[in-house]
Amino acid sequence: MKRKPNSTTLSDSELVLLAKKKRSDFGLLYEKYFDQLFRFVFKKLGGIEETAGDITQLVFMKAMANLDKYEDRGFPFSSWLYRIAQNEVALFFRNEKKNYSVPIDENRISELASEADLGSNMTIEQQEELIEMLNGLEESQLEFIELRFFQELSFKEIAEIYTITEASAKMKVYRILEKIGKKWKGEK
Amino acid sequence: MERRKMKKFILNKDNKDLNPTDEQIKRQKDFSRLHHDYEKLTKRSKHPLYKDPKLFMLLFILGLVLFLIFYEG
Repeated sequence: MKRKPNSTTLSDSELVLLAKKKRSDFGLLYEKYFDQLFRFVFKKLGGIEETAGDITQLVFMKAMANLDKYEDRGFPFSSWLYRIAQNEVALFFRNEKKNYSVPIDENRISELASEADLGSNMTIEQQEELIEMLNGLEESQLEFIELRFFQELSFKEIAEIYTITEASAKMKVYRILEKIGKKWKGEK
Repeated sequence: MERRKMKKFILNKDNKDLNPTDEQIKRQKDFSRLHHDYEKLTKRSKHPLYKDPKLFMLLFILGLVLFLIFYEG
């Protein structure tokens, strides 16, 4: 009897091959990655459920429609999905007429402050000042900070999204932290 | 010129839950809807040409005109 394909026993490459042959088998990749992609988009939007759901569906739709163009370069399939999601969320913010405020938890800011060597016991006012400083960063730099501290991704995961080495991802994040540290100390 | 950012980070003073609950994930997860939308987007109409009399007549006349032009030529 032919066994039904399973997303837990097959590798990403095998799942992609199956989906390329038969689009309904894309469901296995959907099943495997929906939860983490939805969490990612949900956090990026600051907890707007319906919009996060729509954008996540759009990400999978684009992945499904462009699956034949997808090349397996040894990275997990999720890194491609994350890239599409980054673009879709950025497009969403660009197309919106109003300004969006994305809340960040205090403990995430504390971790960032500690990594940037700004001290561990910040007051609420200091945390708000730091957030204001982050808002002034270039978008590309802020993306790295967001992925590392707000999305809590590992350097390996960040590297896979940008198709760079883990060491480069680490270096980029620490250079941005250094820049923040210098600016912070300069203002104090 | 730098583009004006539409997104600003703020401190989560209201202690809003920034992680979705299992219930929210379950509500949004729907592969059959995605598959249906994909089919709608990519598949051609299943309505055969001969069942659309207007389009059929238009193509027929167009073909006839072309045929006559080439025949006369």
